[in-house]
Amino acid sequence: MRQLPFHYAFRNLGRSRVRLLASLLGSALVVLLVLAAAGFVRGMQQTLTRPAALHENVIILGTGSEESIERSQINASIEGIVAASIVGIKRRSGVAYASPEIHTLLPVKTEAASDTDRQAVMRGVRDVALLVHPHVEIVDGRFPRAGHDELMVGGLAAIRLGLPEERLAIGQTLCFDDRNWTIVGRFAAPGTVMDAEVWLPLTDLQIATKRPGTISCVVVSLEPADRGGRFVSIDAFTKARLDLEVTAIREQEYYASIAAFLAQIRWMIMITAVLIALGGLLGGLNTMYAAFAARVREVGMLQALGYTRRAIVINLSEESVFAAACGALIGCAVGLLLLDGLAVKFSMGAFALRMDAPVVFAGLVGGLTVGLVGAIPPAVRCLRLPIAEALKSH
Amino acid sequence: MAMIECRELTREYHKADQVIRPLDGLNLDVPRGDFLALMGPSGSGKTTLLNLIAGIDSPTRGSLTVEGSDLAQMSRNGLAAWRSTHVGYVFQLYNLVPVLTAYENVELPMLLQKISRRQRHERVSLALERAGIADRADHYPRQLSGGQEQRVAIARAIVTDPPILVADEPTGDLDKASAHTAMTLLQQLNQDLGKTIIMVTHDPQTTEYAKHTLHLDKGQLVEAGVEREEVPA
Ligand SMILES: Nc1ncnc2c1ncn2[C@@H]1O[C@H](COP(=O)(O)OP(=O)(O)OP(=O)(O)O)[C@@H](O)[C@H]1O
Ligand SMILES: [Mg+2]
Repeated sequence: MRQLPFHYAFRNLGRSRVRLLASLLGSALVVLLVLAAAGFVRGMQQTLTRPAALHENVIILGTGSEESIERSQINASIEGIVAASIVGIKRRSGVAYASPEIHTLLPVKTEAASDTDRQAVMRGVRDVALLVHPHVEIVDGRFPRAGHDELMVGGLAAIRLGLPEERLAIGQTLCFDDRNWTIVGRFAAPGTVMDAEVWLPLTDLQIATKRPGTISCVVVSLEPADRGGRFVSIDAFTKARLDLEVTAIREQEYYASIAAFLAQIRWMIMITAVLIALGGLLGGLNTMYAAFAARVREVGMLQALGYTRRAIVINLSEESVFAAACGALIGCAVGLLLLDGLAVKFSMGAFALRMDAPVVFAGLVGGLTVGLVGAIPPAVRCLRLPIAEALKSH
Repeated sequence: MAMIECRELTREYHKADQVIRPLDGLNLDVPRGDFLALMGPSGSGKTTLLNLIAGIDSPTRGSLTVEGSDLAQMSRNGLAAWRSTHVGYVFQLYNLVPVLTAYENVELPMLLQKISRRQRHERVSLALERAGIADRADHYPRQLSGGQEQRVAIARAIVTDPPILVADEPTGDLDKASAHTAMTLLQQLNQDLGKTIIMVTHDPQTTEYAKHTLHLDKGQLVEAGVEREEVPA
């Protein structure tokens, strides 16, 4: 079968500026949308389930609070019991990798007089937390000292709090529990929930939240060898010591269960994106119908010359896909410029949109699909008339 | 055997319970090398007949044989391929593609042929030359007059060197001078190249260029055309 020349398809794009613009914009928007949705999903997934970030730690927390560490409340002495009685906990230079922690959401103000409360994800920790969470790296300043109203903030904490980056610079203060706390350190934990947190000494947070003697959990690191077996031994320990009312759960599983919960949000985002994209597609279809309908007689003439319907549908699709491809490239460029690394906050913290190769690929495929799907029905409709009737149309 | 043979050729349309029959059992033989003018009142079936002969419509009943091929039996794609080599169609409203130059418009039917780029260029140039419009090869249709557009359209119809040309009121939109130029061109194609031409017209003057004139009414031939003397080539 002989094809119509591509330059015919290409020049046909110039027949209506409005339509060309609509095609470009439509496909660019669809691509942006796909990029945003896919980048969101990907950023979220990576933050919550990235295996490398969640090396085999085990969280020991109150029985019944496995869904949410924030609700867990266990006796602070459990840390000592755990460190002393469980075999397989990692030890270096006599230090047991067992980090007692409080995880809580606290309303924070920028200054005492302010009316706006901002929910901060707070973690009360001791120095050992840096050993147990090796992905946390202090990039500026130092670890906060206990009893001095000091704290340190993660790389995405500003986004989580809805504050400009410089507002969380070292030396700035945040107000909670009727006191000003000075930021003395900044840390990075890229790709993990911790990146959006505010860390402060465990005892300070115990006082601020009026829960002396209790903690949320103990996070322990296991010796690398035979981690599965080690976990079984911790699990057995918590089940034997029912008096402690604690449960052991792998850190990875804990965040995976949150990810599963967030999967519902993910579906909502995907469905919304698809619906908006469909809207764009329908709009695009409409302009295509109009553009192709104006060419019914010309298409009849091409058939009279001997071109097959298939050759004509292919040429009309080329026209539309080419426009869509240009729009898709524009959409990708804008997406990479504006969306990559854009941080989004959610209840558990914040994470950054990821524009990696698969996401960009999905975006491009989305744009091209719009071009193709948007062209074929109008093209087929344009060819619906018998040639003799098409030649009579105006 | 005549080049084109119509036997009991009938074309029907069914609208609701009404039957419209633009061609009703028409018998017609067109010999090779003829230049036939078709006249008749509006709605008498002239365009319908032309479309059947050009292979862009199919008869409801009867047979239509062109150069030994039974068009009624051909598939849609088979007809498309047949059209690309056997007929050139000249329309009343030229039907040039507005986004292509005169040259590119004439090249369109040649892209369906399996020939080299150089040969194609030669054929397109020759057709433009024949139609006397070679100097406007790079112009777009909007930059041409109606008469020039029609000459480009005629070049497009002859570029594949088909044995048959059909023309539906080719001078219907042209002034007298342009009509004369176009008709002279068709006459030359008939006389010099031996093209068999069937032309629909409303204008008795243009029938002067044809060898025969036939009259259609209500889908049937009403009288034998006035035989004209063969003009020596
Ligand atoms: N697709 C169609 N459906 C129904 N009727 C049709 C169709 N095409 C043509 N007709 C009818 O067939 C008849 C002949 O039409 P045709 O176009 O052949 O006439 P014509 O002789 O070319 O007329 P004109 O000189 O006005 O061009 C007309 O009555 C027309 O209404
Ligand atoms: Mg007609």
